[in-house]
Amino acid sequence: MDKLDCDVHCAPSSYQALFPYLSDYWRQYITQAGIRLNGLAHAYPRGVAAPAPSSYDLLADRILGGSTAPRVVIVNCLTGFETHRNAHFSAAMATAINDWLREEFLARDSRLRASLVVSTVSPDDAVSEIERVGEDPRFVQILLPVRSDLPWGQKHNHPIFAAARAHGLQIGLHAWGRAGKAPTPSGFTTTYLEDYVGNQPIAQAQVLSFVSEGVFERFPDLRVMVSECGFAWLAPLLWRFDKDWKGVWREVPWVKRRPSEYVRDHFRFTTAPAHLPSDPVALDHVLEMMGGVGMLAYASDHPHEHGDGLPSLLGRLSEDERRAVLSGTAAELYGWTAAA
Amino acid sequence: MSQVDTRGGAQAPRSRAVELVDCDVHAQATEAMLARYLSPPARRLLERYGRRTPRVTEWYPRARNAGMRVDAWPDKPGHIWGSDPELMRAQLLDEFAVDYAVLEVLSGQDCYDHPDFAAEWNHAVNQWQVDEWLGFDSRLRGTIAVPHEYPDLAVAEIEARAGDERFVAVLLPASAAEQLGSPKYWPIYEAATAFGRPVAFHTGGYVDHRGAGYPSFYLEYHVGNGIVMQSQLATMVAGGMFEAVPGLRVVLTECGVAWAAALQWSLDAAWELMRADHPRLTRRPSEYVREHVWFTTQPIEEPDDPQHLVWAIEQARLGDRLLFATDYPHWDFDSPKQALPRVMDASLRRAILCENALELYGLPRERSA
Repeated sequence: MDKLDCDVHCAPSSYQALFPYLSDYWRQYITQAGIRLNGLAHAYPRGVAAPAPSSYDLLADRILGGSTAPRVVIVNCLTGFETHRNAHFSAAMATAINDWLREEFLARDSRLRASLVVSTVSPDDAVSEIERVGEDPRFVQILLPVRSDLPWGQKHNHPIFAAARAHGLQIGLHAWGRAGKAPTPSGFTTTYLEDYVGNQPIAQAQVLSFVSEGVFERFPDLRVMVSECGFAWLAPLLWRFDKDWKGVWREVPWVKRRPSEYVRDHFRFTTAPAHLPSDPVALDHVLEMMGGVGMLAYASDHPHEHGDGLPSLLGRLSEDERRAVLSGTAAELYGWTAAA
Repeated sequence: MSQVDTRGGAQAPRSRAVELVDCDVHAQATEAMLARYLSPPARRLLERYGRRTPRVTEWYPRARNAGMRVDAWPDKPGHIWGSDPELMRAQLLDEFAVDYAVLEVLSGQDCYDHPDFAAEWNHAVNQWQVDEWLGFDSRLRGTIAVPHEYPDLAVAEIEARAGDERFVAVLLPASAAEQLGSPKYWPIYEAATAFGRPVAFHTGGYVDHRGAGYPSFYLEYHVGNGIVMQSQLATMVAGGMFEAVPGLRVVLTECGVAWAAALQWSLDAAWELMRADHPRLTRRPSEYVREHVWFTTQPIEEPDDPQHLVWAIEQARLGDRLLFATDYPHWDFDSPKQALPRVMDASLRRAILCENALELYGLPRERSA
């Protein structure tokens, strides 16, 4: 069955791999500071996650071969989710990563697409980078981390969304992000397990922000693909969101419709991680509560492991539903042809 | 010796079977009401500096009626919403035939206070409950406010109140300086458990909006209360708190209920992937939740199809863990007559409206009418 993979990771193995795309100043900065890329170790510690492919050959070897290979793959490079606060460095890194993605991956295989990396500390720099490379149709969305200093829907980020739409790009909101502050709504964590599960509550707060700030009234064609943050939490969140909005809508008069309607029209979620009930009847109920699988898009999330939830989910679906998850949702979102 | 038997016939005290327990009612003290309990040095601090820190209503103003039921403001000088027992009795206890109402006085919840002041302030909150509320109506029950950021002082306050059975739980906020699963707070949980009291975590407190960052609106803040509690419950389980205090019972208050299943699936899945890294966790995370965690209902989620709420309760195995709550006198008051959807069968309704609370708090099944 036709398959579009909405989240495959890649990452340069070292800053040195990005040196061809960095100025002398930043090469010296990196060398003199003695800093090293660590594979985003707070998000993907060595004991639980294999390193993301650092070259096209590795990626092709792992996921692009054989008859079941996906027709299209979106590569996500999270190397730009730095902990440092230097906006100048962040902008330079975004530029370098995008050039590296184009040279190392996009130019090598017509099946590849990428998320466009932008500064996560400076909306101005993010806009500049979108204007620099956004015309390249192989970039399909702007990569933003769910962990943020301020929620992404807020006004100061709207120029990012305007620039994205001007270039036909959507938003890819991905798990993890800045590690230098308490990573969860309730404070600092002491185990990786909490951080891992914690992406899901954080993603919920971002959903609230996009809707409450009226982002989709201002940018009616904007879509947000939430990656690696799960989805089983969505229906209960929307029940409460709708109920509260009914009570306090005066605070957000630019929200014209029920929050759940914006979410259904504008948000999509990758299938990773599919943390779901093992009981098939309960699983059917979960899908019914979500209004079906129409918001779900397949992602292998290579090389990350999330258990056997995804095969269980796919095995429970009808052929039409499976087709929607494996390719239909992504094809519609990114404007790709529905089948090969 | 002859005694007149007054237990039978026309002399018997009338009693009624309990049918409705409201597990989240807000009595609210003004500063002046609590000031009279303070020592001269603490009163001087209050008079000169006030509470010093912004209230959550300043961060997230509530755009209508200050977030209260419009009829909840007493027509009495010196009173605010929730401060007048007579109004509460008329609007809640009598209006809805509430058999027991558990007071959660949020006036003490702050983590910015100096320990000396925090201890006195929370002591005052509890003494005010005793003086103004618990003796006012036999249907009222209290919760013990504690200076939670100073666990030794909190334990002392629990010990001071434990002899009064009308205090049925220990009250903590849903956000604190550290994660509520942190070992820092375990002495509080141990003391509560030793005295047979659950710990009720109520929405609010030191909400630092870490993770995604500070939202703009009360709408996000208020929906976010459920999100914060998900994060807290994850850390309570993962940090081993329920292994450390085996008899601990916690009540997650005013944070929603329908998310409980999804969080447990996620915790269980994560545990399967990493269980060898968590030797303290001898059981699946969902089993700890099942054994140790209760939820109050308000503000109960309202899916378009009410059956979905019933499914969500079944999925999380919460049928004997849900405690009805109105949240009087806040704007999003859930009416005992309307909040539970009709598709809930009678036994589940009865469990939520009273049985689960009677069991948890050890309240008598009959009370004098």
